[in-house]
Amino acid sequence: MKKMRMMIVDDEERFLSTMKKLLAKKGYDVVTASSGTEALEIMSVQNIHVVILDVKMPGMDGNETLRAIKKRFPLSEVIMLTGHATMESAVEGLKSGAIDYLMKPADLDDIIKKAEDAFEKIQGTEEKIRVARMRKIMKSPSEIIQDS
Amino acid sequence: MEKDKITEPSHFSSMRGIIFACMILFPLIPFILALGTGYYYFTTSLEDSSIESMKRIVEDHRHMIESFLKERKNDLDFIVHSYTFEDLSQSETLDTVFNYLQKKSPAFVDLGVFDPSGVHVAYHGPYSLKGKIYKEMQWFKEVMKHGYYISDIFLGYRQIPHFVIAVTREEMGKNWVLRTTIDTVSFNNIVKSIRIGKTGEAYIMNANGLLQTEPRSGGKLMDKNPHNIKYPSSNTHTETFINKDVKGDKYLCTTTWLQNKKWLLVVRQEKADAFKALTSAAYLIILIMGVGGSVISVIAFYLTNRIVGRMEKMDVEKDRLNQQLIGASRLAELGEMSAGFAHEINNPLQIIKTEQSLIQMTLEDMKKAGQLKESESLAELEDSMDQIGLQISRCSEITRAILKFGRQDEPKPQDIHLKDFIPEVNGMVAQKAIVHGISMEQDIAENTAPIHGDPTQLQQVLVNLYNNAIDAILERHGTSGGKLIIKAGPKENNRVEILVIDNGGGISPENLNRIFSPFFTTKSVGKGTGLGLWICYGIINDMHGSMEVSSDVGVGTTVTILLPAAV
Repeated sequence: MKKMRMMIVDDEERFLSTMKKLLAKKGYDVVTASSGTEALEIMSVQNIHVVILDVKMPGMDGNETLRAIKKRFPLSEVIMLTGHATMESAVEGLKSGAIDYLMKPADLDDIIKKAEDAFEKIQGTEEKIRVARMRKIMKSPSEIIQDS
Repeated sequence: MEKDKITEPSHFSSMRGIIFACMILFPLIPFILALGTGYYYFTTSLEDSSIESMKRIVEDHRHMIESFLKERKNDLDFIVHSYTFEDLSQSETLDTVFNYLQKKSPAFVDLGVFDPSGVHVAYHGPYSLKGKIYKEMQWFKEVMKHGYYISDIFLGYRQIPHFVIAVTREEMGKNWVLRTTIDTVSFNNIVKSIRIGKTGEAYIMNANGLLQTEPRSGGKLMDKNPHNIKYPSSNTHTETFINKDVKGDKYLCTTTWLQNKKWLLVVRQEKADAFKALTSAAYLIILIMGVGGSVISVIAFYLTNRIVGRMEKMDVEKDRLNQQLIGASRLAELGEMSAGFAHEINNPLQIIKTEQSLIQMTLEDMKKAGQLKESESLAELEDSMDQIGLQISRCSEITRAILKFGRQDEPKPQDIHLKDFIPEVNGMVAQKAIVHGISMEQDIAENTAPIHGDPTQLQQVLVNLYNNAIDAILERHGTSGGKLIIKAGPKENNRVEILVIDNGGGISPENLNRIFSPFFTTKSVGKGTGLGLWICYGIINDMHGSMEVSSDVGVGTTVTILLPAAV
């Protein structure tokens, strides 16, 4: 079982540092990014499973970042963290591919639960890919004969 | 605002003047024109008809006088042809004839027979004229010339003003004369006898302007006519004119020549008397103008006051509405901004929450690692941290509620189960109620059907009603004794009824009529927009429901909402 690597993206520095400490104490592997651009950079060099993404950020905003992540790193799951409790942003996020959303101020336990759920889904998907790949390698005897 | 208030009165006073002037002039001008035109035409026609009737009267009178003279002449003619000179010269015959004549008309004073040389040969009458010679007398010469003659008034032998009628007859180549004197009194009476108004009089004067009869207004026989007279233009014409007499009064005069004698019949009447109807008409018209004019003025004044009063009132009302509008829009702005605030607050709240989690976690670790001993202070710390967590949740609830409230979303109708929904909404005002000593009770029937509608909007309505109830209770009860009861249950015809009952100050009947009107509020400016119930009414209406308020002053108010059950 692989260990989950999480990334928290938010423009509030204090939030990032405290969350990192908290999640580390709970035993999670956490990286942080303070902007969408930074987040994408990190994801291009590291494998991030679950992203906790703030919706409202200066520069590249949450939704834009979400779409970019889903495009470039489709296997990663994104959980939206929204400050304005409007349904629109959450719905839009879900439509754009976020797996779930949370409203600020969010409970630490809620965040952890949703992240775990997301990681579970990722593992399930990876399993299916592996199975599909295996099936492709394990051809039928008749096919082997045809190939050779 | 101050400047506007100062200039406003003068603006209205000039308006007032204009309106007043118009309201007086526009009715008054046609009124006066109508009266004036009517009066003018009336006057003209009255004058014309008065003059016409005067002319006719005069002509009739003239005919009468002419007839009189003609008949007297005929009488003489008859006698002269019935008797010979010889016969008539006998005094007995003359007496008999005279008596007979007198029976016919008392105007005969005497009767005399004259021979061709002018000697008065026979006489019957009161004067001693027998034997006198009349050859040189004007009348004798005239009668010899013309065959008959009516004289002007003259003194004659008797030295008393009189006039005579004489006729001649030819007998054996010579003319003899029969003459009679006409009683001036009788003749006067005949002439005077005309009745025209109060001041009308008639008299006769001769071609030289000497009076032949005595006018009622004064003047002796043979005097020069004291009045200014215009002679008619021809013998047949009747001349009518108005002139002033010596006293300065205006008189309407009519003159006409008699046909059988060159005498002028003059009929005159005071103009005021002749046109009496005109004066009364004039007075009446002046009275009408006066009364009408004052009525018009009074009504104009009253109406102007009403109109300007209304305008002033509307101005004041407009200002008040403007104020309210400004207040309402300010609050709306505030509402919009609050959404932004709530959102902005959520971020710091998140940080506080995570810091709080960290502190709690660190405390736990320190306790486990033995760095912290259990103590009262530690317990207090932990308690405080819990409290912080609680308060953060509370802040979050508040911001969430504000954001939900301020959302401009389209209503998203869904089935609402009141058993769960109402307690949730009640929770939103629970704290406020507790602080003010208001006890909140709820009684929701188990079999209450769900209703279909946007929960946010229904929440908006209920919160509004709760706030109104709380305000009413506070006004009456102060800080304790308030009761707010919320009931819900089914109603016949597949409906659901929600009741919000309070024991506040109640609403007066006049206000009850206007309670759902926009901008109607009993709160001071800034404390209430007057839009709450209006919006609520609209929301319930859109949900195909109805909303009613019943209240007793000093007892409390009940708001009843009826909504169709969800199918």
